[in-house]
Amino acid sequence: MSLNFKVPIFDVKNLSFRVRGVNILSNISLEIFNGEYIAIIGPNGGGKTTLIRMLLGLENPSSGTVRLFGKKLGEFKQWYKIGFVPQRASLVDANFPATVEDIVKMGRVAKRGIFAGFSKDDASKVEDAMKKMDILDLKEKMVGTLSGGQRQRVMIARALASSPEILILDEPNTGVDIVSQKRFYKLLSKLNKEENITIVFITHDIGVIADDIGRLFTINQKATICNNPKETLSCEDMSELYGIEAHLLSNHKHEHKEGESC
Amino acid sequence: MLEIFEYEFMQRAFIAGIFIAILASISGTFIVLKRYSLMSETLAHSALVGVAVGLVAGYNPLWVAVIVAVLSAWLIEYLRTTFTLYSDAILSIILSGSLALAVIIVSLGGAFNNSLFSYLFGSILSVSNEDVLTIFLFGTPALALLLMFSKELYFIAYDEEVAKTSGIKVKLLNFLLVTVVAIIIALSIRVVGSLLIGALMVIPTSAALQYRVGFKNTILISLFFALFSVVFGMSLSFYFSLPSGATIVMSVIALFILSLIVNKK
Repeated sequence: MSLNFKVPIFDVKNLSFRVRGVNILSNISLEIFNGEYIAIIGPNGGGKTTLIRMLLGLENPSSGTVRLFGKKLGEFKQWYKIGFVPQRASLVDANFPATVEDIVKMGRVAKRGIFAGFSKDDASKVEDAMKKMDILDLKEKMVGTLSGGQRQRVMIARALASSPEILILDEPNTGVDIVSQKRFYKLLSKLNKEENITIVFITHDIGVIADDIGRLFTINQKATICNNPKETLSCEDMSELYGIEAHLLSNHKHEHKEGESC
Repeated sequence: MLEIFEYEFMQRAFIAGIFIAILASISGTFIVLKRYSLMSETLAHSALVGVAVGLVAGYNPLWVAVIVAVLSAWLIEYLRTTFTLYSDAILSIILSGSLALAVIIVSLGGAFNNSLFSYLFGSILSVSNEDVLTIFLFGTPALALLLMFSKELYFIAYDEEVAKTSGIKVKLLNFLLVTVVAIIIALSIRVVGSLLIGALMVIPTSAALQYRVGFKNTILISLFFALFSVVFGMSLSFYFSLPSGATIVMSVIALFILSLIVNKK
């Protein structure tokens, strides 16, 4: 993958986050470029979600800077360029009064003017996003009645409706069955390759996607960046990261075989 | 023509009541979805402080109620976003504090009388032309703001953080919502009463949610329930000489129970 672009989507420098004197993240510096497909892994409590929250301006760093498309977070206005799907996305409140279409339409809300209703363009973007996620036939259904996998696709369709340049997903597979997970990773890869949407996502499921991703960030208070995850990911690395003895199981190409263990 | 519409005070009460039903049910949808239901109770008690000041100082109680309720809403939102306090604890503290303050002001001013009673439980007899005018004067812009930002408020109610990362000004719109709700509550206490207005905001939406339909239809059902309860409740109030707030709330509770039964799985 070519990384010759001048302005990165995210430019993070010396980012640290402390809570009551405890370091959650120390001195993180990284760049994310247009068209990349990046996975973030690390143990629970290692700071993955905190990092994403700081990138999106939901948490203020203790020190360091984040630039988005070349601009400081406080000055950045084109938030529609970013699609965010949080961890709890597929665990939506079953009683919330929303059809699939209601949710996907939310993706267009920030883009329209105060006095403007939904335009034809909005309607076609919403329909496009539903088509891409294969949920068009569910558009009248209440979100609370859908399966975990279907809800997950609705949440991504919402994020896609604003025509984002980057999709950020925080453990999007929480509460989703294995079949839906595989279908989901295929979709992400397709969005990256065919639509040139930059993908960044947090996962614990690195064995499944190791062949697809371009770069891997491991976060455990500090960041380690692997530019070639297939070669770099060793059991020693994983053991060090998670603090336990690790065995890498790949089920991407050998779906019915036992994975190789170290 | 029905006897009930021949009286001028009933015409005023119906005009005010119908407009309040529209305001309360639409704003109530966002309040319920944001888990802010207790907010309406708290602001209603804060409005009572305004009524007390108005009664004692000789100003229009409704105007002062609007001002005090709005200030209280801003204080709640400021405390909620600035300090690490639980939202329901903040609401509970301000609710009790407001009621205590209102009682002290009224007692010191010697205005503990029927006039205050009508603000607690609502009274269709007491809705004046000036009240109707005040309700429209404040209520129309409040309704316009709600409708203008309904899609943003709906998104925020669904997921505040995702709305923020989509570029929606969540903090500003949350302040706008509580301000509008404070105004609507203060305006409603003439007809429904400060102890019962929370019900008119929360129950129509809670009943509508039982039908498990999309956002637009939930608002429409909630609106229909609120309108029906106000018209039916005020008619009961007229024929049986009962406080209008109580009959309106009992009507909407009947609709809520009916909705629960009809939609039982």
